Amino acid sequence: MNRSFDRWASILFVLVGVFFIFASRNLSETAYGSGVGPNIFPFGLGVLLVIFSVRLFYETFQYKDDTTQGIKLDWKNFSIILIITILYICLLEWFGYVLCTFLFLVIAFQIMERGKWLLTILIAGLFSGGVYYVYVYLLKGTLPSFPLF
Amino acid sequence: MTTLEFLYNGFLVSLQPENLLYAFIGVLIGTAVGVLPGIGPMSGVALLIPIMSTLTSGASPESAAASSIILLAGVYYGAMYGGSTTSILLNTPGESSSVITTLDGYQLAKQGKAGSALSIAAIGSFVAGIISLIALVLLAKPLSDLAIKFGPAEYFSLMILGLCAVSGLAGKSITKALMMTVFGLLLATIGIDSVSGIARFTFDMPILYQGLEFLTIAVGLFALGEVFKTILEKETNTGHVAKVGRIIPSKKDLKDSSAPIIRSSLLGFFIGILPGAGATLASFFSYIMEKKISKNRAQFGKGAIEGVAAPESANNAASGGAMIPMLTLGVPGSGTTAILMGALIMYNVQPGPLLFNDHPQVAWGLIASMFIGNLMLLILNMPLVKIFAKIIETPPKYLTPLIIAISIFGVYAVQVNTFDLFLLLGFGIAGYFLAKNDFPLAPLVLGLVLGPMIENNFRRALTTSNGDYGIFLTHPISLTFLVIAALWLIIPILLKLRGKKVIVNEEG
Repeated sequence: MNRSFDRWASILFVLVGVFFIFASRNLSETAYGSGVGPNIFPFGLGVLLVIFSVRLFYETFQYKDDTTQGIKLDWKNFSIILIITILYICLLEWFGYVLCTFLFLVIAFQIMERGKWLLTILIAGLFSGGVYYVYVYLLKGTLPSFPLF
Repeated sequence: MTTLEFLYNGFLVSLQPENLLYAFIGVLIGTAVGVLPGIGPMSGVALLIPIMSTLTSGASPESAAASSIILLAGVYYGAMYGGSTTSILLNTPGESSSVITTLDGYQLAKQGKAGSALSIAAIGSFVAGIISLIALVLLAKPLSDLAIKFGPAEYFSLMILGLCAVSGLAGKSITKALMMTVFGLLLATIGIDSVSGIARFTFDMPILYQGLEFLTIAVGLFALGEVFKTILEKETNTGHVAKVGRIIPSKKDLKDSSAPIIRSSLLGFFIGILPGAGATLASFFSYIMEKKISKNRAQFGKGAIEGVAAPESANNAASGGAMIPMLTLGVPGSGTTAILMGALIMYNVQPGPLLFNDHPQVAWGLIASMFIGNLMLLILNMPLVKIFAKIIETPPKYLTPLIIAISIFGVYAVQVNTFDLFLLLGFGIAGYFLAKNDFPLAPLVLGLVLGPMIENNFRRALTTSNGDYGIFLTHPISLTFLVIAALWLIIPILLKLRGKKVIVNEEG
């Protein structure tokens, strides 16, 4: 188990719990026709979350830390994929579904493994065009169409 | 109407051409999901919920719900068939419930008997599927008739029991599982409170009024989480795919495995009904049981056909058994059934005792379609197993970006806003890191699905008792549930304290 992750996670969850405890104090304490208000349930859960998180924090002192793992994580590819996914989401409603999806897939395929451009472009084109055609024309759904300008 | 009449009507629903097609696509995708190591039944089902809701958008709500659940359930039990393929051919399980199959399955493949191992696994899965379905048909009505007598206090305690059971068995640390459960329940409180109409934790953001969408969170946690895992950990199949060989099993193999199949089906079914104990535990226990009973004990681990037949039957029977508490009581016992239940709720179909009265089309249509789906799987898996073996070689290069694109399309098509897409991405990242550090995700989803119902029943019970918390302890059935729930958490802790090794269910 990764001790430092568990400690940070328990601190984070304590904060989440405390947040819900305080936020639920602003809620009404009664509901119409009932003495049981909308605040009790989240308040109780917040308390429970704090208790369990403190318990986890305590547990982190009990077990042996084995952070040393065999697998080396590929942070570079992950962060590039993450960034292009964020860009994809941000630009989706501006540049349209087909264009954004096509570009996203081409870049992502190439990041996963270089080369084979023809297959890359073919799969990306078929997916983005195919999904748009089926969804918008056959199923009459709504997707952001082509560039807004 | 009698059970048989209901079943007949169910067959009418599931034999409609479009539903037959959905069942077929479901089991086909399910088999592929089971075969592909990077994607498990939970992410497969989660990924397909938005796709199904767009595909069925033209139909009436009831038939749309029936069609969707037919396809989604097909993915679930189809994955149980497919999981055996990689275990046997590649020595890497396609999903966690087939881990135990690798022990004997790969040995058989090395001896050139992969084909008969695969077909015995398919036959075992089929028999188990049918046995658990018959039990489901017999138990559905009496169980829902019993559950309909429950009041809010009983219901609250029953759902607490479900949550505790799943938390007690999920993952390595009960503390972490409980944290995830509570976190899921807390996330469910965001949005407009259905009892008082007050907006909770929304900060006047209109987008939060309807609450966090279950679908977004499920797709993010499971589908994107697994994608990020593949990218970060660079999973590659370096193993050598064994030759399939002759598919028709020999008479001796059939004779040797028939008794283990029947035994494991029954055992798997009952383990499946128990909340928290899913297909993984069922396959594990059935293997141990067969090893104790079997005459050629020495062969186990060296390529005994019983060692393939038993776990593969058990995990399929367990997936049928797991449907029972979800459909009849409205309390799912595992992560995948929680996702299936979330899908039904999306269509305004509330699983639980009233399901069989209010929506017989959905409930019996699903059960009937599972008969047909199991038959399809048997036919698919026997002659086509060589084609499925090819799927293993699908390069992750194309698969992972496509899963991201499908997740984004699915969530956007249903929610039509980019807020949910960011939420999806956030939960994807959280899902990867939480799962990597042994924070189980199944309890979170379970809490999210059950949250609104737990809270409603909790408040209704307290309203009838004028705020007296004793109501949960004075009603005998409710008290029983709570005691069992407490035991479920305490017993594993006590066992651990005494130095015993506790088997946990990693599937969720």
